[in-house]
Amino acid sequence: MSYIVPIGPYHPALEEPIHAKLYTEGEVIKDAEVFVGYNHRGIEKLATERNAIQTLVLVERVCGICSHSHAFTYAMCVEDLNGVEVPKRGEYIRVITAELERLHSHFLWLGIACHIIGHDSMFMHIWDERELVMDLLEELTGNRVNYAMCTVGGARRDVSDDLRRRMLEACDKLKAPLDRITEIALTDKTIAMRTKGVGVLTREDALRLGAIGPHARASGVDIDVRRDAPYSAYGDFDFDIPVVESGDVFARVVVRALECYESIKIIRQALETLPEGPINLGNKLPKIKAGQTVKRHEAPRGQLSYMLAGNDSLNNYRISIHVPSFKNTPTVPHMLRNNTVADAGLIIASIDPCFSCLDR
Amino acid sequence: MNLQEYKRIDISKDEILPLAERMKKEGRYLVMIHGLINKDGQPDVSWDYAVDPYVESYHVVGETSFPSIGEIYCEAATWPERELNELFGFTFEGLDVSKRLFLPEDMLETQGKGQIMVTPLKELVEKNLGSAQPSEGEVKA
Repeated sequence: MSYIVPIGPYHPALEEPIHAKLYTEGEVIKDAEVFVGYNHRGIEKLATERNAIQTLVLVERVCGICSHSHAFTYAMCVEDLNGVEVPKRGEYIRVITAELERLHSHFLWLGIACHIIGHDSMFMHIWDERELVMDLLEELTGNRVNYAMCTVGGARRDVSDDLRRRMLEACDKLKAPLDRITEIALTDKTIAMRTKGVGVLTREDALRLGAIGPHARASGVDIDVRRDAPYSAYGDFDFDIPVVESGDVFARVVVRALECYESIKIIRQALETLPEGPINLGNKLPKIKAGQTVKRHEAPRGQLSYMLAGNDSLNNYRISIHVPSFKNTPTVPHMLRNNTVADAGLIIASIDPCFSCLDR
Repeated sequence: MNLQEYKRIDISKDEILPLAERMKKEGRYLVMIHGLINKDGQPDVSWDYAVDPYVESYHVVGETSFPSIGEIYCEAATWPERELNELFGFTFEGLDVSKRLFLPEDMLETQGKGQIMVTPLKELVEKNLGSAQPSEGEVKA
């Protein structure tokens, strides 16, 4: 029997609204469509009515998980148009915040994935360990969600010697729980049975459809802006890009778990070699010079791109925000085909979708 | 150290498809397609490709209709094209626009006019606070 099964826009397995229409034969999905746009807030339009400092506050509200990534990328655009050079210490602090954000985002996703497959003890374990990262973020930035750490020309808060020492200790503390989580993720039978061979995206499809971030790296596509087009202070650090070939949900679990180690490695290097000097260039409200630029940042879910057009005025002439979920969501119908309806929620969630970002 | 240089290159509408084919052949990643109405009132649409570590941004100015590169870059191109179609009204030859992307589900009933009413910030500030935005060099606490 053929059925059309609707999932969402509001569904228990999805934290944010997306509507998927599954065309099934019995329990097997033969085709699928996804519909987005339920959170569209017109943020790009709103930004044309704001100056650079107000826009930092606005773009942080695009997403509650990768808020720093948005402010970071937007600030890079303004700095590029205005020819501003950010103090090295400011760049390092931005990178530390970005990598802590990646850590908490990956922990969050790993927990949600375990929750969806019914492994709730693992979900609670991961989220418990995530609190260590959240505490660090709170201590570093003063906030747990919208960090307000970026400003045009640097970072807003410095890292004291005492905090630096405690953050380095925390990096050590994170190692054991991360080892444990990775070991369980790699060896647990429940996780393997629900994720291996499920929602496969082949390398060819990933390249053809333009998948990015951990989602693409789990399909064997070796792509990461931090290495391919170094920006901020990323060129100063030594780190690896985990790539897994199998392209299934299991591969996405593995890639994200391994990326956590690399983030800790980057944070540790940044803290150990934190340069002396100012963290920003002061509080002057900048005009946005005439011209256009594009900047890219490897956000936790993949490449985040901002286009900024300036017009020699305080306000943005136009900004355009292209988020990782905008690239990865179109791959969902391809991954759903020939899987069962029971796995649909997990497969949709496996791209670590952020519809708040996508709809912006 | 920031190696992400932005290179603007102006092209004609006829060059869009051959360019996309060349970029695809070279394995270049389509960063985004975006558009704006420039200060002279002209549409300015650009196709940004990652030629790492650079972004090469190919601009077509003064046109409102373009060939779709969906056949070459699949959904990586068709989603931004649909977005530009909905929000700017630009058309892409060969692009399927029978379904909404960001517009409300009742877009057909409201003929695309039922979306996104943004009150300009200046009006909101004047209405609620009665003061203008801060000027250059001044940051309000």
